[in-house]
Amino acid sequence: MSPTKIPGELSVSFRYTPGVGNTAFFEGLRDRAVFLGSRCEDCGVTSVPARIFCERCLAELEPSLECGPEGELVSWTLVRVDVDDQPLERPVTYGLVRLDGADTVLLHRLLHTGGEPAIGERVRAVFTSPREGSMLDVEGFAPVADGAGP
Amino acid sequence: MSPRVAVVGAGMSRFVRRAQETGKELSWIATREALASCELKLDDVDAVCLTSAPDAFDGVHRKGDYLADGAGAWAKPYMRTYVGGGSGVFTAIQGWYTVASGLADVVVCVAEEKMSSCQPHPQGAFLTIFDNILERPLGPNLLWIFALEMQRYMQAYGLDKRDIAQVAVKNKRNAAEHPAALLGQADITVEDVLGSETLAWPVQRLDVSPISDGAVAIVMASEDAAKRLTDRPVWIQGVGWNLDTTYWTNRDLAYPEYVENAARMAYGMAGVNEPRKEIQVAEPYDPFDYKELHHLEGLLLFDRGKAPEAAADGVTARDGDLPCCPSGGLLGVGNPIAAAGLMKIAELFWQLRGEAGARQVPGTPERGVAQAWGDLMQVGTVVVMGNGGGPLATATQSPPFAPRATSLSDQEFRSATGAVEQRLDTRYEWDPGEAIGAVLDGLREQRILATTCISCGRTLVPARKFCERCFRPTDGWTEVPHTGTVETFSICHVTWDMRPLDEPQIPAVIRLDGTSEGGFLHLVGEVAPDDVRAGMQVEAVWKPAGERVGSILDIEYFRPLEPELRRELVAVAAVELPVEIAP
Ligand SMILES: [Zn+2]
Repeated sequence: MSPTKIPGELSVSFRYTPGVGNTAFFEGLRDRAVFLGSRCEDCGVTSVPARIFCERCLAELEPSLECGPEGELVSWTLVRVDVDDQPLERPVTYGLVRLDGADTVLLHRLLHTGGEPAIGERVRAVFTSPREGSMLDVEGFAPVADGAGP
Repeated sequence: MSPRVAVVGAGMSRFVRRAQETGKELSWIATREALASCELKLDDVDAVCLTSAPDAFDGVHRKGDYLADGAGAWAKPYMRTYVGGGSGVFTAIQGWYTVASGLADVVVCVAEEKMSSCQPHPQGAFLTIFDNILERPLGPNLLWIFALEMQRYMQAYGLDKRDIAQVAVKNKRNAAEHPAALLGQADITVEDVLGSETLAWPVQRLDVSPISDGAVAIVMASEDAAKRLTDRPVWIQGVGWNLDTTYWTNRDLAYPEYVENAARMAYGMAGVNEPRKEIQVAEPYDPFDYKELHHLEGLLLFDRGKAPEAAADGVTARDGDLPCCPSGGLLGVGNPIAAAGLMKIAELFWQLRGEAGARQVPGTPERGVAQAWGDLMQVGTVVVMGNGGGPLATATQSPPFAPRATSLSDQEFRSATGAVEQRLDTRYEWDPGEAIGAVLDGLREQRILATTCISCGRTLVPARKFCERCFRPTDGWTEVPHTGTVETFSICHVTWDMRPLDEPQIPAVIRLDGTSEGGFLHLVGEVAPDDVRAGMQVEAVWKPAGERVGSILDIEYFRPLEPELRRELVAVAAVELPVEIAP
């Protein structure tokens, strides 16, 4: 019999450099453990991570406004399976956090240990040390009520 | 008559080898400059048209919505169109019909490409354009296609490599005057091109446009809006596009019929009856130097095979009778694929406004044509633009700004803060389908099968279940001889990611005896590379019965029919893919 299925692959590698806006954002995380955003005064919108332009009016923006490190939990999910639909050994909680001063939300892990997260609750970023300039410089967000705050 | 649509503004980023900016940021640079050039705000824009070539270059799936914010598409009607390398010119056609239909008064058209993300070489993203069952097992390299077409063009008209190399020289010299150019070189000579590394004969390093990052944007407007916005609109007079057969080895590679078809459509709409008299400036698509010549002939601006002679006589120089690629083209300005196509429209806009500064062609050009080419070498996209004989401005340097984009060195690129590396490793299982399934069964039994269409009288290799011309089922199977003719060939010295090969590969389009036009892709072996000729008679060399599995590789290669031409086999470096056999 001839082959009924011909195996093939699309195997390409990528190296993504973060661009001008994200470079400022990652350097802020790495060097000062702060979240940098950018504000368009005309549109009244502050975005985190920082951008070099406003998507609503295309104005040039400075990627330099500090936001957070506390914020409000906007939504969350508990993930029990991996990308291949296999059960995770330890389920992971992800949340959308609106940092103080920002209008946009950030996706990251939640570090809640006791009880479920609650939409609307206050959370605070937990930074790693040392930091390399990456989203993983933030370990995740913990409830302020847990005493993660100052 | 269609409503009139004009280009009223244009902008672009610098074209660079590795941009620090993301694709979004590059798109923003171009879009913002285009809007600023006609003093518009984003609120004034009714709709946004975007194009970008394969997602696999940027490594971002669905680049359309990824790039939307940089293109100014927030909360607006927005669509990405795509016809491979033809996309950049096509997005101006998309802009034209968006306005001509009455859907919008002002649109922005944006084209972006960021090829530097793709590792180790963007050619990897191109490998999937080859037929997954009949061609990919041969280990093709993207350059094969162009080398095979260039060789066929040279052979059909008796052209010398020198005739072709002069195009690279002209365009790289022209680009020396372009403020956004990556590879302008005022002192390059034909000897430099002819002396550059041979990649896949006849393609040498300097025959090819460089991998680049960049973005371009234009603003298009309805007649009323255009007259309100500027006293010097450049009108879209005609648009055309056309696609040839997807069986690229079945085409006559010496002449781009699809470009002629697209050009006739655009000239017809523009009322251009004698393009050689009525077109004063051309921006044909030039990812390779031979392509400019090939395309100028398809655009009916020169007789078949005669563009090289005209180029040698200086006709296509910036100060010649028909300036071609006064921008510097893809060979000189750079080739961020989709962006490079739209750059040609922007260049015509600047040339027809008299704003091209040091690049301005002499005289007062009233009409120009821009063209791009892509998909699997089979799409032609053509736009005819004119200023209606309107007044020319005084010579302004243009683009009338210092194009932005930050160029990273390889070292900076490798060490950038926050950079992320990812491998897209997707696996597939392809069904060969009925026709190719039967072909593979035949190969296992040492038979080559074709189908026939009694309506057009063709015997079809590769075999297919339906005739794409008559659009009816094919009429039956026939076994064809194992002998044939080399229609065109290349001597390839590099792998797809540009590493040198120990022994050159000789890919060829082989037309089997008794079959209709064109043929199929395979390798030639048992011959010294210098002895291979177009028109050479060859025969299939088969694997032994026990080793044939139903694959294009059941034919190991083709060797010269004439025993005196045969040499001991050194290596035929086909890549063996594992083949699963059904129980
Ligand atoms: Zn804004």
